[in-house]
Amino acid sequence: MSKHDLLIIGAGLAGLRAAVEGVRQGLNVAVITKVHPVRSHSNAAQGGINAALTDRGDDWRDHAFSTIKGSDYLADQDAVEVMCREAGDAIIELENMGVIFSRDDEGKLGTRAFGGQKKARTYFVGAITGSALLHVLYEQSVKYNLHIYEEWFVTKLIKEDGRIAGAIGFDIKTGQMEMISAKAVVLATGGAGRVFEPSTNALICTGDGLSLAMQAGVPLMDTEMIQYHPTTLAGNGILLSEAARGDGAYLINSEGERFMEKYAPEYMELASRDVVSRAEQTEIDEGRGVDGCVFLDLRHLGKKFIEDRLGYLQEVALEFRGIDLSEKPIPIKPGMHYIMGGIKTDLNGATNVPGLYAAGECANVSVHGANRLGANSLLDTIVFGRRSAIESVEYIKSVKDVEIDPKELSKEKSRIQSILDRPKGMRSAELRDKMGSTMTKGIGVWRDTDSINFAIEGMKNVRGQLSNVYVENKGKVFNTDLTSYLELEFMVDVAESICQGANARFESRGAHFRTDVTTRNDKDWLKHTIVEYNGEELNTTSEKVTITDWEPTERVY
Amino acid sequence: MKFAFYPGCVARGAAPELYKSTMMVVDKLGIELEEIEKAACTGAGVLQEKNQKLGDVLNVRTLALAEQMDLPIMTICSTCQGVISQANHRVVNDQEYLDEINEELAKEDLHYSGKTEVKHLLWILLEDIGVEPLQKMFNIDLSGFNFAPFYGCYLIRPSDALGMTKNPKRKHSLDIVIESTGAQSTDYAGKTRCCGFPILLINQKNSLKMVAKHTGDAKDSGADAMVTPCPLCHLNLDGYQAKARKQNKRGKADLPILHLPQLIGMAMGLDPKELGINKHLVSTANFIKSLKSKVA
Amino acid sequence: MEALIKVKRYNPEESEDTYFQDYSVDVAEDSTILDSLIKIREEQDGTLSLRCSCRASICGSCSMRVNGSAKLVCKTRVKEISPDGEIITVEPMGNFKVIKDLVTEMDSFWSKMKSIDPYVKTSFEPEAEHIASNESMTHLLGVMNCIMCGACVSECTALEVDSTFTGPAALAKAYRFVADPRDEEANSRLGKLNENTGVWDCTRCLACVEVCPKDVAPMERIVKMRDLAIEEGYTNTSGYRHTESFNDSIKKHGRLDETRLALESTGLLNITGLIDLAKIGIKSLFRGKLPPILPHRPKDMKKVTSIAERLDNQGKEEE
Repeated sequence: MSKHDLLIIGAGLAGLRAAVEGVRQGLNVAVITKVHPVRSHSNAAQGGINAALTDRGDDWRDHAFSTIKGSDYLADQDAVEVMCREAGDAIIELENMGVIFSRDDEGKLGTRAFGGQKKARTYFVGAITGSALLHVLYEQSVKYNLHIYEEWFVTKLIKEDGRIAGAIGFDIKTGQMEMISAKAVVLATGGAGRVFEPSTNALICTGDGLSLAMQAGVPLMDTEMIQYHPTTLAGNGILLSEAARGDGAYLINSEGERFMEKYAPEYMELASRDVVSRAEQTEIDEGRGVDGCVFLDLRHLGKKFIEDRLGYLQEVALEFRGIDLSEKPIPIKPGMHYIMGGIKTDLNGATNVPGLYAAGECANVSVHGANRLGANSLLDTIVFGRRSAIESVEYIKSVKDVEIDPKELSKEKSRIQSILDRPKGMRSAELRDKMGSTMTKGIGVWRDTDSINFAIEGMKNVRGQLSNVYVENKGKVFNTDLTSYLELEFMVDVAESICQGANARFESRGAHFRTDVTTRNDKDWLKHTIVEYNGEELNTTSEKVTITDWEPTERVY
Repeated sequence: MKFAFYPGCVARGAAPELYKSTMMVVDKLGIELEEIEKAACTGAGVLQEKNQKLGDVLNVRTLALAEQMDLPIMTICSTCQGVISQANHRVVNDQEYLDEINEELAKEDLHYSGKTEVKHLLWILLEDIGVEPLQKMFNIDLSGFNFAPFYGCYLIRPSDALGMTKNPKRKHSLDIVIESTGAQSTDYAGKTRCCGFPILLINQKNSLKMVAKHTGDAKDSGADAMVTPCPLCHLNLDGYQAKARKQNKRGKADLPILHLPQLIGMAMGLDPKELGINKHLVSTANFIKSLKSKVA
Repeated sequence: MEALIKVKRYNPEESEDTYFQDYSVDVAEDSTILDSLIKIREEQDGTLSLRCSCRASICGSCSMRVNGSAKLVCKTRVKEISPDGEIITVEPMGNFKVIKDLVTEMDSFWSKMKSIDPYVKTSFEPEAEHIASNESMTHLLGVMNCIMCGACVSECTALEVDSTFTGPAALAKAYRFVADPRDEEANSRLGKLNENTGVWDCTRCLACVEVCPKDVAPMERIVKMRDLAIEEGYTNTSGYRHTESFNDSIKKHGRLDETRLALESTGLLNITGLIDLAKIGIKSLFRGKLPPILPHRPKDMKKVTSIAERLDNQGKEEE
């Protein structure tokens, strides 16, 4: 059995940053990932990464305030302070690692404007910032000779004596299943977009870590906070970055008017994402859309500008819609994009299970609260990826090697075999599609008691049918039929906890907008919803939000 | 129809049989040629490695000379076609660069306004003459023969500089022309690959591996001969076939390599010897024999 | 509409033989080939293995051969490839060993990537960023667009005959570091790339440029690095001699002097090489294919040679 000090599940930005830090700290580190690191979904982030560089006259407290306001005051302010204070160093370090950030006329790091912020503090690389960052972290993993279990699927976390002991996973290329022992584990598995349909997310974003954590007794927090990104393509849900609006693009309705004037007169197109998505949906619902979409208009920016700064958007527009952004506005609509909710952690990525940490989109510190600002996600991954690794060092030093019961492996192998042995039934895609459309309908831009109940009932139904799903491919080599099913199991766990959270929070805050109770209720609801799995069912509790310097006020853009 | 003729360097150097067979064939095709006598070498991509601008200036100069003659250019070499087309594509899409180059050309009282069309004889057969009219000029039915097309990289890549979107048939032009003679076009992997000529003098081992693979594969797939519209490919596939196939254990050099005009000439009933087929390094004696028995 | 797809199958657990399987799937008019393959996998045949993730041409997972040439199937529309409903042939990438169906091993790809030291070698300045012009950073955007999909490697004609060649993807990536003003090792990088399996093994066939879904143009980066290597003084290659000789030919004659080129590229001290050349030379002589001593020159040759001289000097000045 392989043994490591620190095992990181997921090789996106958070995972790789944690890994690099772990190696720097002298730990025996391994990363286990179901796709090669550069295929991780971090590469789809386009717009940029926020940071307040104080030596340039920027103030991290201003960034913190924008973040807290953006979160509709649900973010834990001490966590936001940590993230915003460390952002400056994080950016400089990334540049030193080799990221080809855009520059100003003096050759220093240059910025673009982004949503929810008055000051431009988003550092970027064209419209491929996520990809550029991820590739540089991959380069660092080569430099540090990182041990990577590449294309391995984790099926279970192992605990012994109440603490984390490792994980069980199998090599997708050969089917060989193994137990990997580790003193500490960082979950960095990203989001769960595939629970919805459509979504901007890649097919691999199936909430694996969220389910693994739940099964290990870790609570999830604020799961009802699902971000619908304002500018996604209809049908396939592919994302067009906020960078377009940051660089000056307009949102117009079927009458050609910049409708954001009505909803956010000060911030216009750069209001927080939930505000913009709701504005768009209102326009569409009230008949000022075309085929369920409004339009993103970049014509006035000019072809050269678009090709230089927003090249990837032009590529997507041409490839998937046959539209040249310098000539025609492109139809877009709100699309499911990000989960603010996730695995509950403290400021250092630690969960309630000793030795188990989480960072990145799968975690909830909470820095994003009820709505995430654009370009804060990349920052979140870097800051908390690093902090998790550092935090784990002391813990790893303090504990002895853990003995794992070898029966754990045979138990898990039998479980997988029994799935493979199921008789012919439903295919996993059919059930996933059902889940996806139900969740989008029930937990959409708007929700209410009826829609939430619709989702809850729907998920009960899906859960009930899980055992009918069969796996046609009985082979060991690259069996994606099997991994699709296992991912479906993870997704049902996540979907249920999303419904649970949505049902619990009886107010409208940030991305959780209920048409049956449209106002924010700080008196009763300035708290996080906590969903926990006790082995049999989901329990819901709550916890107060940490307020430091910013008293919640009315949120107006 | 009339064209400004750009024969390229090799047709005047190591492959004089290409020049001769071209002249014999265009006569029968009704194509009038006026050679661009002042034109320089295209640079073949090698010159461009050291000095892109020099290469572009020389090629745009050739285009300007043709524009002065008010004629489209005909080439007989895939490499010439590709390099000139790439230069043309570059300047037609970059007015600033074209202006820069025109400044150089002004010293010779030349100016290029981007209007010259450049076509390989292969495309002219297909597009300006047409398959059916071409077939009417053939006297010999070559059915029963199997010819392996070898395009030459620069005739098919990059597709945007070679007008492939407007003229998608160019992607299969050589197959179509071979089939128009009644012969079959060999289906084998190498038809759009590289012959290795650019690295012949740099990494001969790899260059010869390519020659061995493509000629060996073509032969194994039933080809009687290989046809290529590029004399540089011809130099490698013909000149080095013996050494290549021996070194790579692909048998003997038994696959004759023909220039495109030689194929057309044969189908028209012209004398193979006149067409220079006997000048090749890989013996074409057996091939000529089977051709004669077809006629008889 | 009906999409007819013929997929090359391979399952090492069943047999070492490959075979083709025909599928017919009903998809929307603007569907991509990936949409079709996913639908086949989800509804008809769960045993079909392929890699895919983002569906938006940014993750690089889904490169495979479509009608013989590598493409990212997530951005290749069915109608684009088969406007009249023709059968589309889908196979795994070339130049890679196949694991199963459309999934190839990528170890060879990553190890070549690693071989070029793919990380910026610079002194760490924790206080502030390195100063660099925006031009220099946006220049690198072109190569940074590479999503490591492997399409270029699949179609590389040099790799097809020599698997030790570093290859277009790794070499394009090497350029990213050579051209990064912050990297302090450009000279030694170029020195290493100048050696065997490096930049001079590219056969300049444009296949990588043609198939790259991100316009990285690997061949152009390779050619640029040849130039940069020469500038750094790495002139001990036949590649260098080849380029120099060609250049001189144009400067002198306005046309190519093939004989001289052959001799100079081989190297006038390379006795075995010269003897080899002589063998072909003699054969050619007998067939009247030896190039004339003086190459056929263009009319008004001086006009050409003066341009060449002038621009060559200009080039040297800029250096």
